[in-house]
Amino acid sequence: MSSRKQLIVSHAPFWHNGSGVPERSYHFLLAALPAALMGLATFGAPALAVLSLSVASAIGWEVAFNYVSKRPVTVADGNAAVIGLLFAMVMPATTPWWLVLLGTLLAIVVGKQIFGGIGANPFHPVALAWAILFVSYRPFFDFDGMLVNYNFDFPAAYPIAALKAFGPEAVAELPLLDLLLGRQTGGIGATCGLAIIAGGVYLILRGFIRWEIALSFIGGIFFTALLFHIGDPTRYASPWFHLLTGYTLIGAFFLAPEDSSSPVNFAAMLIYGALMGFMVILIRNIGAFADGVILAILVGNTINPLVDKIRPKALGKVT
Amino acid sequence: MTSKRQLLIAYGLAIHLLLIAIICYAAFPQASPETPIRLMYHTAAGKVLFDHDTHTSATGYGNACADCHHHPSDEEEALIACGDCHQTPPEGEDFPESCLDCHDADEIEGSEVVGRGDAFHGQCIQCHHEFEAGPEDCSGCHVL
Repeated sequence: MSSRKQLIVSHAPFWHNGSGVPERSYHFLLAALPAALMGLATFGAPALAVLSLSVASAIGWEVAFNYVSKRPVTVADGNAAVIGLLFAMVMPATTPWWLVLLGTLLAIVVGKQIFGGIGANPFHPVALAWAILFVSYRPFFDFDGMLVNYNFDFPAAYPIAALKAFGPEAVAELPLLDLLLGRQTGGIGATCGLAIIAGGVYLILRGFIRWEIALSFIGGIFFTALLFHIGDPTRYASPWFHLLTGYTLIGAFFLAPEDSSSPVNFAAMLIYGALMGFMVILIRNIGAFADGVILAILVGNTINPLVDKIRPKALGKVT
Repeated sequence: MTSKRQLLIAYGLAIHLLLIAIICYAAFPQASPETPIRLMYHTAAGKVLFDHDTHTSATGYGNACADCHHHPSDEEEALIACGDCHQTPPEGEDFPESCLDCHDADEIEGSEVVGRGDAFHGQCIQCHHEFEAGPEDCSGCHVL
C-alpha cells in the first residue's frame, strides 16, 4: 500500500454528505432529459404522451406493487421515474398507451420488484421489458412502420433497419453529423447522439456510471464493426455508422452501466462492456435482428455474475 | 432513506405527467393524414415501405395523382387506395366485393381486376424501369 493515509478512518459522529438514492435518480433524470427533449422536438406531442405516461405509470406500478406486497412505498427514491423515462426513450413516438402501461408494468414488476427491488435486479428492467415486448409485439418495434405519418426533413428510413435490409450502400449517403445531431428516426430519446453523449459524460463525471463499461461497450462495437468493415466494406457498414445509429449510445450510457446488473471490478467491467459491444455487432451484421443492442445487454447481464469473479487478489492469506 | 418531500415529488410528478399523457393521447390521436406520407405494406414476401410523399411532392418526383390512381379517372377528390379495388376476388367470383360499392354487378361483368401484389409489381417496376430510377429487384423493396 503506497499511501497509508487511505486506511485511516475518523471516529463517529459522521457527517452525511447529502447524497442518496433519490439524488442519484434526479441526476439520471437530468442526464437523460436532453435526449428526451430532442426526441420531443423531432416527434412532437405523441412523444410527450409516451414519455409522460411511461414515467407516471412506472411510478404508479411501483406504488401498486408496494401495496400488494405489503412493503414500504419506495417511489420516493426516484428509480421508478428513471425506469419510466428510459423505457419511453427506447420506444417509438406512436407507441399506444396500453403498450406503454404493459411495458412499465413489466419493467417495474418483472424487471425489478420481484427480484427484491432496487439494487437486486439481475437484468436492466428497461432492457428486460423491451425484450419481452419486442418478441411479443414485433410490429410496434418497427420504426419504419410506426412513424409512417411523420413528414421529416431528413431520410425517414430507420437507418439500422435499412442497413440490415438493403446493405451499406443504402445508408452510405447519410451524413454522420446528421446522425449525431439526431436527424434520424428511432426511439424517442435514442436518436440524438450528441444529447445522449452529453448526458452520459455528465453521469461519468459525477460518478454515477462507470466509464469503464460505457467506453468498453463503445470500443467493443467500434473495433468489431471495424474488423467486419475492413473484411468486406460492401457488406458491412463503417464502425462510425454503428456508433451513431440504433440504440448504441443510449445502451452504452444508460442501459449497460446500470449498477445492479453490471460488474464492479475493473477488469470485469472492461470485459463485460467489450463482450456486449462485440455481441451487438455480431447480431447486427450476421444475426437475425436489425439492432442487437438491448438483446446484447441482456446477455451481458446474464454473464455479469460470472465476469465479476475476475477480481483483485485479496491481501494476505487465509490460514 | 427517503424523505416525505421526496415522496411528494414522486407523487406530484406521477399525477402531473399522467394528466399530460391523457391530454396528449386524447388531443393528438394517431390519425392518418388525408394524403399519405409513407405507406407500409405487409405482404407474403415481407414488408414494403412506400414513400408516397417523395413520389408525389414537387421536391420529389412530382408525379400526378392520376399517374398511379387510374380509377376512377375523372375526379381527383374521389381517389381511393390501391388496395380498395386491387384485391383477390372471393372464390367463384370474377371481381372483389368492393367493386359493388360503386358499380352494379351487371355493369362490371366480365372485367378483371388484378390483385394488389400484381398491380404494384406492374406499376412500380414498369415506372422504375422507364425512368431508370428506383429498385426493380425483389430485395430492393421487400424486407423480410
